Amino acid sequence: MISLSSYAFVSMMLFSIGVIGVIARKNIFVIYMSIELMLNGITLFLVTFARYHFNLDAQVMTVLIIAIAAAEAAIFLSVIILLFRSKKSLDTDVFTTLTQGEKS
Amino acid sequence: MMTDIVFVALSIFAIAGAIVMILSKSPIYSALGLLITMLSIGGLFALLSASFLFMVQIIVYAGAIMTLILFILMFLNIKEEDLPKEPKKYSLVALGILLVLPLNILVLKAVSNLPEKDLNIVDGNFGDIKPVGMALYNNWLVSFELISILLLVALVGSIVLAKKRKPKENKGEQ
Repeated sequence: MISLSSYAFVSMMLFSIGVIGVIARKNIFVIYMSIELMLNGITLFLVTFARYHFNLDAQVMTVLIIAIAAAEAAIFLSVIILLFRSKKSLDTDVFTTLTQGEKS
Repeated sequence: MMTDIVFVALSIFAIAGAIVMILSKSPIYSALGLLITMLSIGGLFALLSASFLFMVQIIVYAGAIMTLILFILMFLNIKEEDLPKEPKKYSLVALGILLVLPLNILVLKAVSNLPEKDLNIVDGNFGDIKPVGMALYNNWLVSFELISILLLVALVGSIVLAKKRKPKENKGEQ
């Protein structure tokens, strides 16, 4: 029998891998995909608790989260296109024009 | 018994796809790993008897968003020298594991204190499209309208961002 903890383990693993991807990588595409992965881990958690409590509100929240992820995908990818056009690189260390202090 | 095997296989696929995604150098391999993860999470939704969300996950995530990501990757025509050099990748991964470990332990300990319940696939229409739609339009109507406005703003915003810029000398006249 599959317990609640195993679903929680899988969703927390996915969320943590997303956090690690945001921390460790410099490729802006991989950072975007890690954010998507974090959203997916959270939706898995929500759906697990919807089944656990036999309540549909968490599934509705998941539908709303998926809609937010679609909007985020459109904006993020167009911003990536603009950044790549202007700097010809995917490195996040290049996009430092909004920071104060010395130029890298 | 059958659902146990399916659950273990789907979770292994999901976690392996995620690990491939954050460790591979080329963004195409990352996108394919993410695709495997999305499909496995869709299968887990089906095991949790959320059939409508299973379809939405397959159509929106594995269909629309992954197609968009792969299309942009092909469109940008990324060469090997455009990719950032990441010499400290694995040590940063170790640092990230150290950072997220306490949160994981906290959440798993909290969840393991909850009373056990049977999470098998239920009969009836739980998670079907009609009950989810009734809940969405009855209890979550304001959120639904706000999400529609958000999608409209995202649509207009991405068009404004991606359209051609005017040349510099016209800037002072406006």
